[in-house]
Amino acid sequence: MRRKLYILIGILLVAGMVLAACGKATPTSAPAPKASESSQNNAPAKTSAPSAKEITVTIGFTQSKTGKYNEESTRQSDGLDLWIKQINDQGGIKLSDGTVVKFKAVSYDDESSGDKVQQLYTRLITKDKADFLISPYSSGLTSSAAIISEQYGKIMLATGAASDSIFKKGYERVYQLYTPASHYLTGAVDLLQSLDPNVKKVAFIYENSKFSTAVVKAAKEYAEKKGYDVVMFEGYDKGTTDFGSFINKIQDSGAEAVMGGGHFQDGSTLARQIYEKKLPIKYLALLVAPPDPSFADLGDAALGVVGPSQWEASANYSPESAKAAGLTWFGPTSADFVKAYKAAYNEDPDYHSAGGYVAGLVLQKAIMDAGSVDPAKVKAALDKMDILTFFGHIKFNTTDAHGLQIGHEMIYIQWQKKDGKLVKEVVWPKEGATAAPLYPLKH
Amino acid sequence: MSKKFFQHASLWLSLGTVLVIGLWPIVTHNALNRETAFTVLSAVALASSLNILLGYTGYVSFGHVVFFGFGGYVGFYTINVLGWNIWMAMLAGGLAAALLAYLLGVAILRLRGAYFALATIGINEAVRAFINNFAPFGGPTGMTLNFKIYKAYGGAMHALQLVFYIMVGLTIIVTILSYWVRTSKFGLGLLAIREDEDAAEVMGVITPSAKNWAFVLSAIIPGMVGAIYFFKNGTIEPGLAFPLRTSIEMIVMIMLGGQGTVLGPILGAAGYETMRDYLLVSPLFKNLQLAISGVLLLLIVLFIPRGLVGWLRQRYPKVRRWLI
Repeated sequence: MRRKLYILIGILLVAGMVLAACGKATPTSAPAPKASESSQNNAPAKTSAPSAKEITVTIGFTQSKTGKYNEESTRQSDGLDLWIKQINDQGGIKLSDGTVVKFKAVSYDDESSGDKVQQLYTRLITKDKADFLISPYSSGLTSSAAIISEQYGKIMLATGAASDSIFKKGYERVYQLYTPASHYLTGAVDLLQSLDPNVKKVAFIYENSKFSTAVVKAAKEYAEKKGYDVVMFEGYDKGTTDFGSFINKIQDSGAEAVMGGGHFQDGSTLARQIYEKKLPIKYLALLVAPPDPSFADLGDAALGVVGPSQWEASANYSPESAKAAGLTWFGPTSADFVKAYKAAYNEDPDYHSAGGYVAGLVLQKAIMDAGSVDPAKVKAALDKMDILTFFGHIKFNTTDAHGLQIGHEMIYIQWQKKDGKLVKEVVWPKEGATAAPLYPLKH
Repeated sequence: MSKKFFQHASLWLSLGTVLVIGLWPIVTHNALNRETAFTVLSAVALASSLNILLGYTGYVSFGHVVFFGFGGYVGFYTINVLGWNIWMAMLAGGLAAALLAYLLGVAILRLRGAYFALATIGINEAVRAFINNFAPFGGPTGMTLNFKIYKAYGGAMHALQLVFYIMVGLTIIVTILSYWVRTSKFGLGLLAIREDEDAAEVMGVITPSAKNWAFVLSAIIPGMVGAIYFFKNGTIEPGLAFPLRTSIEMIVMIMLGGQGTVLGPILGAAGYETMRDYLLVSPLFKNLQLAISGVLLLLIVLFIPRGLVGWLRQRYPKVRRWLI
């Protein structure tokens, strides 16, 4: 009997694993950057100077092809692959000494879980001889990978990782491209202040996860510094679907503005229930969910909701705005990037895609500035970097929190109505705004 | 040749397997092999520990990773906040896991069969929820080590090397522990509980205390593995520390190798991890690796449900004397 029980348990276990695996495993036909492999044969024909040589630089990273980060991570590596393809198609980067640098990518599936990340990054460095590394998606996986890259003295560009804490731990070669979590909602506080100086009571309600907790803690501090009275500061568990009691509590607290959220599912549910319960608040800013195009499916509940985004296609960073700000412009414009991305993948890029692309772009700029692929020289170039790209301003902290992003700023979008249809408009910062903010929230 | 010799032969075979895995990166002097061997050995240590409860005592714990995560958290806290060294942190992690197991055992080892299995899943989730709201452990954001901490061990390169040696040592200890339990009078009591708990009680086995000690023994090493794993990982957060999937994989490894044997979980864990590693990086399978490993496991469990060692014992009665 017992044996049969074990067999049954075993079969159930395995069947569960198979189902889980089949459900998530998406065999993607990755656009392999083949150009670099054949390039070595073609090179001598193109360059007549005998001194000109061509080198292929290997970029290593892990990608979450399965598991919970699959979607964001795939977009991120799609963005990076697009950059590699573009560089190789245009004949690589020409350095000042005539060397032509081309790129190739090596990547593995980290399954969105930390247990293999260090092993895979060691493999990328020792076996695949990766010259430069790109981080995995998410702050947790990036901090695991950072130890390995630092240990081997490799440069790692961290994209899709917003946590501040990694950069306060003494790492010297990890560079962050996203605006750190501590600045995710501070702009939403500034926006509120510019809209209505009379509002004083703010409630924070957020998902109990690494990322959102870090964001709201910093936002709360900032709001208090700006003179706001934080009347509620409460977390909800992952996967919460009923916010009724939280909404009642917000109402009792007398809050006039609500900020927080977590990820897409909970954020959009929260926005819908706040709308349905007709919570009398003037301002609602949520993380992650609002910038997603499917947030519009909420209909009128989406109207007026503000959300931070790392990048939006409509944000108007341009060579002109670079000149106005006294910065060097580098890379394609937003329009060119969107066009190329759409042509390659037949979908609109989101900020994860742009983050992947800009990781390549920043590496390209650093190699060009360094005039070499020597890690020490590239590191020096990254430390000095101060540029404006279609993604925004890129500049790294080089003192107390080495590698922390200090140039890039969040963009705040708001869902507004145009001709009866919901549209996403950039409302903050003022320089990048595409429409005037809608205020107060009409429920 | 006495019976004792044959029993020892099984111990040497088990230790030999662990040593081969442990020496492979040292002999080849290759960092990648070291990383691979580290994950294989941690799987061996976890599976062998769980085997004491699952294989010998017959209690299926679906939430055994809770001891790995809890020990990891306590160890990480002592390093990160209290400034202890890795040795003390490892001990703290092991003791914390043992204490947790003792308290839990008193409460839930009265449950049998499916009820016990369900309770263990609940405990993993409950501890995760507790840590998620426990501010000293960083709550949902977890904790991150300062890179400079590795300097005390001669830099990150040496620290990772040291952690690997510790892991080899722990795996050897867990192998000896597993062998000792299997061959001792205490272990005989556990086997009796597995076969029929009521009959064991009638025969004079004090089942509540025997079960509780089995639970504690099966928790100590996972707690220590957790402490050194997260020291190496450099960062800890609730999602990384309590993955239910690892719990299930531990059970699968034991079933692959043969539950209730000393060598079985070692072979099962090594085989399972090697297969996963191969599928993960092979250019042919890397997009499909989870589906393929699922199908392979299904086939193995369908056709050799007793696991490799169990199958050998059934097929060749002669080896039963020394293959335990």
